[in-house]
Amino acid sequence: MPDWKQIVRKHLRVLAGWSPEFTEELATHLEDNYEALRCEGVPAEVAFQQTIDQIEGRCRVRLVMRFRQEELMTGVFREVALPGLLTSAAAWPFHWALARGHIRPEVLWLIGGQLSLWWWCLLPIYGALGALLSQRNRGSRLQRMAASQLPIAIVCVLVLLIFAVGFTMSGFVNHYQLVSARVESLGIVPPGFALIPAAFSLLGAGIAEVSTRKFGRLA
Amino acid sequence: MASINAQIKRGSAELAVLTLLAEHALHGYEIAKRIEEQTGGVLRFDMASLYPMLHRFERKAWVRAEWQTLPNGRRRRCYWLTASGRKQIAPLRAQWRAFFQALESVTGFQNA
Repeated sequence: MPDWKQIVRKHLRVLAGWSPEFTEELATHLEDNYEALRCEGVPAEVAFQQTIDQIEGRCRVRLVMRFRQEELMTGVFREVALPGLLTSAAAWPFHWALARGHIRPEVLWLIGGQLSLWWWCLLPIYGALGALLSQRNRGSRLQRMAASQLPIAIVCVLVLLIFAVGFTMSGFVNHYQLVSARVESLGIVPPGFALIPAAFSLLGAGIAEVSTRKFGRLA
Repeated sequence: MASINAQIKRGSAELAVLTLLAEHALHGYEIAKRIEEQTGGVLRFDMASLYPMLHRFERKAWVRAEWQTLPNGRRRRCYWLTASGRKQIAPLRAQWRAFFQALESVTGFQNA
C-alpha cells in the first residue's frame, strides 16, 4: 500500500500552511479511492496512477487554487475588508495631521532632496495593524496578508483615478508640458504608490506574524 | 450520460452535501461516493471541489468535523451537520426550486 500521507505532503507542499489534519484527510481520501479501484479489479499500477492523478498536474493546480480562494473569500468582510478599512481609517487622519505639519506623506524617491522616510517607516506599522486586526477576527494567514495590503490598494485606486482624471484633463487643455509630465510620472506612480508601499506594509505584516507566533497572540 | 456544466455543479454542490449530511455523519470520500451513486454518476465531486467546500462549511460552523476510528481501525474525518448548517438547507432548496420553476416556464423543461 503506498504511503498516501507522504505523497500528499510531497505533492501539496504549497499548502503546507494548512494543518497536518488536512494532509491526513486528503491522504485518507486517496487511500479509499485506491482501495475501491483495487476492489474493482484494477491493476495496482493503474489504480495508483488514477488515484495520484487527482493531486497532479491540472488537478493539483485546481485544488490549490480552490483552497486559496475559499481561504481568502470565506468571511472576507470580517477578516479582510473590515481590518483593512479600519487601518485605512486610522491612517488617513494621521497623515492629514502629518501634512498639516508640512511632512508630506508622498511616496517619491526624493522630496526636496530628502527621502520621505516618515512615510516609509509608517507603512510597516499599518501593515502590522491590518494583519493584527484580521487575526483578532480569526483571519487565516492569507487573509491577514490581504488585510495588510488593503489600505495600499485603496490608495492605489484613488491615485490611479486622480491620475486618469488629470491625464484626461491635460489632454483637453493640450498643454504639451503637462502631458509629458503625466507620462513621465507613469514611471513613478506604480512603484511609488503600489510596489514599494505594498512591500513595506507586507514587511510589517510579516513582522507581526512572526512576533505573534513567537510571543503568543498580542490581541 | 449528460455532463453537467461546472458552474451548475458548483452551485448545486452545497445543497447536495448539506442534504446528505443532514441524514448521516459522513467522511469526505463517502460524501463524494454517495453523491456519485445517488445521481448515477451525473454529479461527481473531485477533491478540488469537495474539500475546500467542506472546510468552508466548517469555518462557517455549518458542519463540525471530528476524527473517528472506523471498525476496520482506520481513522477518518467525519462531518456532522450543525444546527446552523441545518438552517441553510431550506433556503437553498427554495432557491433551487425557484430556479427550476423559472427554467420550466421558459423552456418547458419538466422538473422531475
